[in-house]
Amino acid sequence: MRTIRNIIALAIALVLALSLVVTASADVVYRTLDEIKASGTINIGVFSDKNPFGYVDENGEYQGYDVYFARRIGEDLGVTVNYVSTEAANRVEYLETGKVDIVLANFTVTPERAEKVDFALPYMNVALGVVSPDSRVIKDLSELTADDQVIVISGTTAEDYLIKNNPEILLQKYDTYANAKNALENGNAAAWANDNTEVIAFALQNEGYTVGIPSLGSQDTIAPAVSKGNESLLNWINDEIRALAGENFFHKDYEETLVDTYGLDYEDSLVLEGGGLAE
Amino acid sequence: MPDLGLEVLWRGKNFVRLLGGLWVALRISLIAAGISVVAGILLGIAASRKRSVSSVILRIWLGIIHIMPQMVLLFLMYFGTTRAFGWNLSGETAAIIVFSLWGAAEMGDLVRGAVSSIPVIQRESAEALGLKPFQVYRWIILPQAVRRLLPLSINLITRMIKTTSLVTLIGVVEILKVAQQIIEANRKASPNAAFGVFLTIFVMYYLACRPLSLAAKKLEKHWR
Amino acid sequence: MAETILSISHLTKRFDDQTILEDLSLEVREGEVVVIVGSSGCGKSTLLRCINALEDIQGGEIRLRGELIRYGSKNLPEMRRKVGMVFQNYELFPHLTVLENILLAPVKAQKRSREEVREEALTLLDRVGLKEKAGSYPRQLSGGQKQRVAIVRALCMHPEILLFDEVTAALDPEMVREVLDVIVSLADQGKTMLIVTHEMSFARAVADRIILLEDRNILEESDPETFFTAPKTEQAKKFLQSFEFNRKNKAEA
Repeated sequence: MRTIRNIIALAIALVLALSLVVTASADVVYRTLDEIKASGTINIGVFSDKNPFGYVDENGEYQGYDVYFARRIGEDLGVTVNYVSTEAANRVEYLETGKVDIVLANFTVTPERAEKVDFALPYMNVALGVVSPDSRVIKDLSELTADDQVIVISGTTAEDYLIKNNPEILLQKYDTYANAKNALENGNAAAWANDNTEVIAFALQNEGYTVGIPSLGSQDTIAPAVSKGNESLLNWINDEIRALAGENFFHKDYEETLVDTYGLDYEDSLVLEGGGLAE
Repeated sequence: MPDLGLEVLWRGKNFVRLLGGLWVALRISLIAAGISVVAGILLGIAASRKRSVSSVILRIWLGIIHIMPQMVLLFLMYFGTTRAFGWNLSGETAAIIVFSLWGAAEMGDLVRGAVSSIPVIQRESAEALGLKPFQVYRWIILPQAVRRLLPLSINLITRMIKTTSLVTLIGVVEILKVAQQIIEANRKASPNAAFGVFLTIFVMYYLACRPLSLAAKKLEKHWR
Repeated sequence: MAETILSISHLTKRFDDQTILEDLSLEVREGEVVVIVGSSGCGKSTLLRCINALEDIQGGEIRLRGELIRYGSKNLPEMRRKVGMVFQNYELFPHLTVLENILLAPVKAQKRSREEVREEALTLLDRVGLKEKAGSYPRQLSGGQKQRVAIVRALCMHPEILLFDEVTAALDPEMVREVLDVIVSLADQGKTMLIVTHEMSFARAVADRIILLEDRNILEESDPETFFTAPKTEQAKKFLQSFEFNRKNKAEA
């Protein structure tokens, strides 16, 4: 995974270099709200294999928490939605080249990304979480002794966070989700730190485990993103998110798409209505 | 019999979707392979003359293609051309261009190597019979070169088919991506689906590449 | 006197700064068999390659029935069709059968009818004892058989002159005879030939004229009887003695 990430970084660097060398690049890459409406189609980048946020069902239809919102955007704009299958690695690039109008792909807001794309109001919370066996539920990182180890997946936010903020904790690193899961089930470590959505889903699906720490570190949010400078579209999305708060749209979305994975207990902590202003 | 989660294949349109994904992968790689073979032969002949401009161009081109991972080339062709020139290539077109550039360079090098490996005196022998330069290539050099590079070019084409899995990075949904989608969509209902789906893909790839290698074997036997 | 077929005048051939042939002149008349001898590396093969314009030349000119043969000229393929060349290592085309090897140039280059050439080829193959090998591939033949096919291939072009470049040098001794016999019979038919060889008894039997090439040029030129019994120059005597010496050795062994 490391090398793939490096290769993609190289690719992006080269794309940037190419665009610097050739000055003939178009100034405006994006389509304004009016242009989208006039064309009758909006291109929305979503995940196609990240159940339950964005995936494709057995009939070839896009589904999931993000897609539910995308579909509503299409309806309220009065245009057809063209779903574009994106990857974590190319979401920014898609917006920077205007190949999609909006990205709705579990896109976490970070300062680095905000320099390249414009985020609209958030519609979901994410944080880190820690899951541990019921026999010894870890409710705070201070409960860990010097002998305890914590499982992380290499390259994740959880790894970075623990190295930075709790360097005294011994980490057990794995490359894949499956290996990390096996390690916890074999009792190789005291706990497993990952995105809270991941550990919540794990605890729900595997008996004998509890998420002792559902929210660790700073709370991040997930938001729609548009190309840098596309104000007309950005404003429309923000207005839309505020308006949808009136009908508790994202709670409905959660109950349709996420409740099977995360259960009702976490609905209020995960869902954001009206960009969080309604709270 | 272990649970391979094969039942997900029969749910909805999943199997047809997989076949559709296979068709996308084959379409890209076979169109690119066709272009590569034609361009590679011309390029290879041009480059087989020592110290020619074309041999230098081929060497630089090959160098670039070898250093750059295909993923980078796909990014450059799909996103880079939009940034730099404002082109709006479809993902599939960008993929075909990249695969053709890659294939033509490798094929060109194979042809150059094969043509150069034909002894000079074979060419002289044909020239001494009064054949024109084009006829010498058409009847003497190329038929002998093709026999030498057939296994290598079949290898190149199958590598191309396999490498198409990268095109998902520029938004093209091909067989491996469809597989991923099916597995993920059924992560809870059929946790073992990955085995069945990948087994199916394996069989599909095999059946798709089999005619190629069979044809190659038949030709080789015919030529022996 | 018969008409001149090949005329070489003041030919000079250099590789980089090494001169191989210098100011060499030679004429071959119709029906004449000229054998070129000389020590290894004296430029005999190069001379033949120049005649076929497989080598560029740095001075002089080569004419076939008065027409210029020039390296890189437009009508070169046409001129080469009039010059039959047989190489030391046969140079049959390995991907073609014996018959296809023979038919290729007459059909593709001379645009003659396939049927007509095929018939001729089979007749000629029959004459060299290889009719039943028409469908075989070169790798299935012995060296001597390959060389006989190569001769038939050259003959089928109806060349004005045949060039033989040490055609038995790569053969096992027991196969030399079968090839040389073919050439002798061609001489009997009155074919015009220029032959480079190391087989002295063959040279003596087949040649109308012997040429000794030494030091970048023709050193001695005479009929075979004179050449072998009364050579004019010291070098010619020495050259012939090198074979005598070999023969004595053989007799002792």
